[in-house]
Amino acid sequence: MGPLGSPALLGRIAALSIVLVFFQIGVVSEVPVFGVSADLSPLLVAFVGLMCGSTLGALSGFAVGLLVDLALVQTLGVTSLTLTVVGYFAGRLREARDPQAALTPLLVGAAGSAAAMVAYSLVQFLLGVDAPVSLELLRQIVLGVVVNTIIALPVWALVRRCLIGGLPEDPRRRRRRAYTTGGLSPLSRS
Amino acid sequence: MYDKTVRRRRLVLALLVVLSLILLTAYFGESSSGGLHSVQRGFLTVVSPIQNGANKALKPVRDLIGWFGDTLHAKGQRDELRTQVDRLRREVIADDSEKHSYRELLTLFRLDNQLSVKDYHPVTATVVAKSPNVWYSTVTIDKGESAGVRVNDPVINGEGLVGKIAQVASDGAQVTLITDSSVGVSARIGSSGATGIVQPKVGEPNDLLLQYLPANTRAEKGEYVVTSGTVSSPDDSLYPPGIPIGQVTSINEESAYRSVNVHPLANLHNLDVVQVLTAARGSLPANLSRVTAALPPGRQGASSGEQLASTGGG
Repeated sequence: MGPLGSPALLGRIAALSIVLVFFQIGVVSEVPVFGVSADLSPLLVAFVGLMCGSTLGALSGFAVGLLVDLALVQTLGVTSLTLTVVGYFAGRLREARDPQAALTPLLVGAAGSAAAMVAYSLVQFLLGVDAPVSLELLRQIVLGVVVNTIIALPVWALVRRCLIGGLPEDPRRRRRRAYTTGGLSPLSRS
Repeated sequence: MYDKTVRRRRLVLALLVVLSLILLTAYFGESSSGGLHSVQRGFLTVVSPIQNGANKALKPVRDLIGWFGDTLHAKGQRDELRTQVDRLRREVIADDSEKHSYRELLTLFRLDNQLSVKDYHPVTATVVAKSPNVWYSTVTIDKGESAGVRVNDPVINGEGLVGKIAQVASDGAQVTLITDSSVGVSARIGSSGATGIVQPKVGEPNDLLLQYLPANTRAEKGEYVVTSGTVSSPDDSLYPPGIPIGQVTSINEESAYRSVNVHPLANLHNLDVVQVLTAARGSLPANLSRVTAALPPGRQGASSGEQLASTGGG
């Protein structure tokens, strides 16, 4: 396995990214909830980072962002920049803390979506794009984060199911699983 | 070993961020005929058939989800539409006699050569992609240069004006919607005939504002706003006159110019099929567009455009 992960894992991430981006563009964007559309791309990137680490998170963020910008004929680089950062920090969270709580994906999805939307808006402002700065924009961001949070757990389940087979066995998780099932428990040894 | 991992991780992040910034700067700085724009158009050409196929395959899923929302609103809409039908029936009866007199007058003064939708060649296209965020009011359609679609061609649907073509690939095109901040459409209020420019309302990107109306303009809530058939800048599309844009929702009287809030008639959140009004080379709309685009800045006022539109065919 290379430093970025096995070819099988990279293939799975690429396939999942392409399918989800086209599903986003063709279906999810067409279905407004509370007046906004869900955005699967920050969720996808954050969850790849959470499962595979910061390097793969950042790389998938860049690739997904580039794909979105190309497919939607948007300014190239804006989505890549924001999603790279989202993927990296989601991966760092896993590497530094490795949170195991059931609600972790929900919080990571919400934080990743909020960070991506705010960063995206900031970059657009810096580029001088003529768009309304108003409560409406704030409302759209807040509602976008709420909608993304609602769908975070199903998206996490999908990403996890698709990538888990390509991931190497994590020694820390193996140890934790063994501990909880009694294999390495100090009580069982005594 | 740990240091090496950390260094590699940070290097990858820095590399990707720098690459994104280079892309962003290069793309933002170049013209629409630049290299990155060409790559984007090439990508659009390649993925348009895939998007089109995916769009068709996923339509049942979209329709199923949309069905729930539509059912909830159907009852309210039915009552509203019944009232509207009654009002429109009365208006049609009253307008019939006026229309007859109007046609006679047009023929009498040889003014019946005005640009109209009939002068265009409509190309029906399916919307295959839509931007999910508030920053881009654009959609991608599955027809492009090969179908005769060109930049700035007007785009309509059964409800009214949708936008104009912004970028074209061989089998796909990007449509900028009328709610995009870059679009301004010369328009008039149906009854009074007062003309102004329709632009998105600041702070409410889903609503429009008809601006620069004369101070004595009278407008009623519910009145229709239609295209005037003129252009307000060299980059604008010459929309044929009479295409419905929206309905007046309220009137603002706080400045020297009057403005009215307009709610778009076309449901821009749920576009499925649109028509691009293409014009063959040498046709009346193509000639008029060419003439208006060639005028120096300051000459493309409402009056000049109006004059061109009304005299171009004769």
